[in-house]
Amino acid sequence: MDREAFLARVGEYHKEGRRLALINVTTLVPAAAPAHGAKPEAAATEASVGETAAPDQFEITWVFENDKDATLEKIREQVGPADIIPSISEFFGAAFLYENEIHELFGLNVEGINLDLQGQLYKTATKVPFSHAAVKARLEALAAKTAAAAEAKATTEAKA
Amino acid sequence: MKRTIIPFGPQHPVLPEPLVLDLILEDERVVDAVPTIGYIHRGLEMMVERVEYTEMGFVAERICGICSFMHGMGYCVSLEAIMNVEVPERARWLRIIWAEISRVQSHLLWLGLGADAFGFENLFMHCWRMREEILDIFEKTTGGRIIHSVNRIGGVKRDVSDAELAAIVVKLEELGKAFEKTANVFGKDPSIRHRLSGVGVLSADDARAVDAVGPMARASGVVMDTRLSGTYGYDQVDFEPVTETAGDCLARVVVRMREVQQSIGLVRQAVEKMPKGEGMPLENKPRGNPVGETYTRLEQPRGEVLYYVKANGTKNLERFRARTPTFANIPAMIKLVRGCDLADVPNIILTIDPCISCTER
Amino acid sequence: MANPLRLPMVPRALRNLVSRPATRRYPYEIRPRFEGARGTIEFDVETCNYCMLCMRRCPAAAITVVREDRIWSIEHLTCIGCNVCVEVCNKNSLSMAKESKPVHTHAEVGPQGQRPGHEEWHGPDPAIAAAAKAAAAAT
Ligand code: SF4
Ligand code: SF4
Repeated sequence: MDREAFLARVGEYHKEGRRLALINVTTLVPAAAPAHGAKPEAAATEASVGETAAPDQFEITWVFENDKDATLEKIREQVGPADIIPSISEFFGAAFLYENEIHELFGLNVEGINLDLQGQLYKTATKVPFSHAAVKARLEALAAKTAAAAEAKATTEAKA
Repeated sequence: MKRTIIPFGPQHPVLPEPLVLDLILEDERVVDAVPTIGYIHRGLEMMVERVEYTEMGFVAERICGICSFMHGMGYCVSLEAIMNVEVPERARWLRIIWAEISRVQSHLLWLGLGADAFGFENLFMHCWRMREEILDIFEKTTGGRIIHSVNRIGGVKRDVSDAELAAIVVKLEELGKAFEKTANVFGKDPSIRHRLSGVGVLSADDARAVDAVGPMARASGVVMDTRLSGTYGYDQVDFEPVTETAGDCLARVVVRMREVQQSIGLVRQAVEKMPKGEGMPLENKPRGNPVGETYTRLEQPRGEVLYYVKANGTKNLERFRARTPTFANIPAMIKLVRGCDLADVPNIILTIDPCISCTER
Repeated sequence: MANPLRLPMVPRALRNLVSRPATRRYPYEIRPRFEGARGTIEFDVETCNYCMLCMRRCPAAAITVVREDRIWSIEHLTCIGCNVCVEVCNKNSLSMAKESKPVHTHAEVGPQGQRPGHEEWHGPDPAIAAAAKAAAAAT
């Protein structure tokens, strides 16, 4: 991502008096992952969501809100797990919570948070529960379970 | 000076909510506070991997027991936007009515808890007695006291007869009159004023700088109310957002008291304006699986909630994110706690109306 | 020190001394639940055709239907009372009773190792049912 342009744009939103409404990260897992329940026809409509999921990418969206006319402005970027994301906490006082959260839940590195909680914000059993490895492992486990159940059913039916 | 660290919560005698804060003290003064999330984390965002989108509404409803109606509604509204489903008009009005009644319920609950926190047990009991009558209304109309399960993608599942709606309005207005007497106590009692006024002042500029939402921001004089944008039928009712200018704990109490009356008024308006009659359509069933993404904003009792839903055409959503009002208000809370006395910390925390279940999802 | 008679809560507190309590004496006096309240799922074994729709649509996976053996079972403690199964059943075999089952005080385990709250119905054997139907059709 273009760091300078990004920060300039955020600064502009700040000057306009917008409020930070959300920083959201989505782990992009290729939709072909069987456990997502993907039907063959679903793959065709995939492009309409707006992006084609490159392997092991995250999609970050910064959402800024204007209280007066209730409009939302979004900045959307795709980043890899090793990329460094600039912090916007110097502009928006609430950003530090979201940024700590994306560091802890998604394993992304955010640079320059004004209140870095050093991994103390979330106490989760799985460290980095939304990393690609963790998400894929869960989806595969789920697929295996569904397949095992289907197989068990098939064998009982065959017996009967 | 030597610094002391006091773990505040998850179990604390004043707070009903398992909030976890590490307070860093110099003498009796708080110099910093470090929040921790995860004591009651339930991983609802992870659940979309396993739970189908038709069933996720019931999960969303269980994010929080106090705004359960609004969470269910927010989820359904998001999916309706993605799947292009038009909600029948009567269903939309019923949603507004239930949403406003649940705001009254939530504020009464909070006022009671607030009274309890500053040591006014009697007032606590009276607020909760009134809340009980509202829960009865919910049980009669939706079938559940706390978890209503009436929202479905595309509409609502139950109708309320016109006669019953009229009775509800009468009941709510009586309640509003009785509440005025109680509200008097909050506004006039010298011990309450002494405890709350001038404590934890958040100026309007600060409220903007830390992106506060809901009654928290309105008590500081920031006019922000998602209902003003007129979505989901709020453009057809008249109301002015309740604002105060003092920005202290007392102002936050007063904002919520006035919002109780405002919501009762909104219920009356909605009942007057909604289309009347038996057997009107209440639900348009969606077809197929959702594809697309949406941001939905609703004004919950605690402030603005934002749902981000992304669907990829399968039965499971790709991402479901609820940014709840308490999450947005935590920076404001930390700002207020810095520099105050230890004895004021519980009051300040309570007046942001924290809902930790919402925050930790 | 403020004059206690000027405190706004005092009249209310005095009235509380002589008025009846706002609460009920719960275990002795139970408020009946309102019409339409959601309590426990009730099942009618006569009409069910074991289509398994309720099992597939239940968000809490509380219902198990085995079509071959004509078994319909529910875990009442897993059920979240959402009413979805009642809505989807084409045969109107399910209904929502307004009263809830009493809370289980200890985790008793049934003779077949069922969890508390487990309830199970066995429909007539399909072969017998088919024979009965054929007999009815013949007459
Ligand atoms: S109860 Fe109704 S939905 Fe469930 S298996 Fe029987 S007929 Fe089908
Ligand atoms: S009421 Fe809901 S949770 Fe209970 S059995 Fe029916 S579908 Fe399942």
